[in-house]
Amino acid sequence: MRGIPTVSVTVARDVTELLKLPRAVFVPWPMGHHFGVPFHRELQRRVLLEAFRTLETASESGTIRDLIIRWADVRREAKTLSAQGWKL
Amino acid sequence: MTEANRQPFADPAQVAPPDPREAGTQLRAGLWHAINERYPGSMVTREAYVPLAPLTRPLSQARLVMISSCGVHRKSDRPLDVCHPFGDFGFRRVPSDAKPADLTIHQLKYPHDDADRDVNVVFPIERLQELVVEGTLGGLTPNFFSFIGYNMDPERFERTVAHDIAEAVAVEEKADVALLVPA
Repeated sequence: MRGIPTVSVTVARDVTELLKLPRAVFVPWPMGHHFGVPFHRELQRRVLLEAFRTLETASESGTIRDLIIRWADVRREAKTLSAQGWKL
Repeated sequence: MTEANRQPFADPAQVAPPDPREAGTQLRAGLWHAINERYPGSMVTREAYVPLAPLTRPLSQARLVMISSCGVHRKSDRPLDVCHPFGDFGFRRVPSDAKPADLTIHQLKYPHDDADRDVNVVFPIERLQELVVEGTLGGLTPNFFSFIGYNMDPERFERTVAHDIAEAVAVEEKADVALLVPA
């Protein structure tokens, strides 16, 4: 079976390190919120694009790209979206 | 308090660690050890890194599969068994052209109240569909794959769920790249 390039999006950097995965993007967010908050399309898309960049640029196994956007800031943006009429 | 017993500096051992929500660090630190303590032997470590499979074509020409332990499935499919003490060693195919209204989440091990409102929070199917339309991705495999992360026998999991999904991804779906979302 041929090898297929993979990238993982993780909220548990320690688990990813111990599993010794080839490529990953770490976001410091709660379990079940790997792509942010509901209806925040830009943020969801940004995490995906970071994952794709990691697929393209990682040169050795064990590459973890940290996308450090603080959860406190993400929640604030979620409240702004909610105030603009999104059903959150 | 007298001058003699006043502490001019806080004892480092007594200083609360910074709030990870503000610090931008892992929210549940030491998750591997916490889970392995509660469910001994359920967590996996490796001695060596998984080999890096190189990209064979640009992403704009590549076919992507998404594989997640988030427990998303079509509403018309039988849910995975979240009550069995050893877990459910099965998986579900999720058509990559599915609409969020067609999908539901059956999983007990992570909070999915936000993902119930917008499945893209943990299974970004709509964002991937959009990235294909705009040409960032070449395409999506006909099916994505989902299972539940609670499985108490890693060796059996590797023999069954992981093996069967890997074979389907390579042979049936003909994926060029895989996006993994360990929920």
